[in-house]
Amino acid sequence: MGEPNLFAWILLVFGMITLLPLIAAQTVLLRDPESRRAKDLIIGKGREWTNSTHRKSAIAFAWSDILLVLPLFIIGSTAVLSGASWGYLLWIALGFICVYFSITFWVMERANSVKYHGWFAYLTYYWGFFLYWGVGVIIYSFLQLSNMIF
Amino acid sequence: MFGTPANEMIKNRNQNQKIKVSLGIAFTALSLISLGWIMQAYSIFDWESAFELGLQQGTFEGSELESLIARKEKGEAMADLILPLPLTILAFVGLVGRKFYGWLAAMMVFSICIYFPLFYLFQQLGSDIQVALFAIVMWAIPSMIGIVALWSIRNHYFQYG
Repeated sequence: MGEPNLFAWILLVFGMITLLPLIAAQTVLLRDPESRRAKDLIIGKGREWTNSTHRKSAIAFAWSDILLVLPLFIIGSTAVLSGASWGYLLWIALGFICVYFSITFWVMERANSVKYHGWFAYLTYYWGFFLYWGVGVIIYSFLQLSNMIF
Repeated sequence: MFGTPANEMIKNRNQNQKIKVSLGIAFTALSLISLGWIMQAYSIFDWESAFELGLQQGTFEGSELESLIARKEKGEAMADLILPLPLTILAFVGLVGRKFYGWLAAMMVFSICIYFPLFYLFQQLGSDIQVALFAIVMWAIPSMIGIVALWSIRNHYFQYG
């Protein structure tokens, strides 16, 4: 059941482009939250943490992503590529988590992010890709699990 | 040869018992989680009253810092009502009807309910971790147990999905 097809590869590559740079930036953040490089990557060039809550939230997201999102992505993708049905379950779980934090960030950070990065960046790599990828894997994995795909 | 029907009966009875226990665990976890969604729904309805009751930590009528906390919490509350709440309802309905979509929805609710307490834990480390501990006890641990319980009866749902 659920042999991976071209869509699985597209989602995998899209997922790597979307998630791995974020995880890399979060790793830099966790090494030294006050470094210029970490702040440039996470909040934008030349910007500073608004306050300690802002910094703590970014660190908390970083830890949660590294401890949960990254393993789900690696293990889920490996399982999907090997045709294991539970790989799709992990992808759906990760997809829902991505959609969940996309909604959170839409309410929490949209105004600031758009102000500093513009709508194009926001609707693509800064925020949008996470939502699109999440929705994509949920739909694809559900169809695969239901044995309905093509 | 003579023992086969009896063994089958015992096996079926054990299987049914296992399904009942697993579903009981899943429903308990989902019920605890639902308390969280009720709390968030009330907060969206009347934020300042929820703040006074201690359901939220940030207020829009306080300092800039408190307002920032309130904005973050409101984002989480909105996300909870848009995604996990409908999923939780779907999980309840589907699990009652022994449908695959109910099993899947419950698993997804549980995965989200592990993510956000983990976030709270790291956010509150070194300061006030009561909220984080509350979220872990109320949602993360029941969710983990719920995942194990539902995974143990996955064959039942995949078979009839």
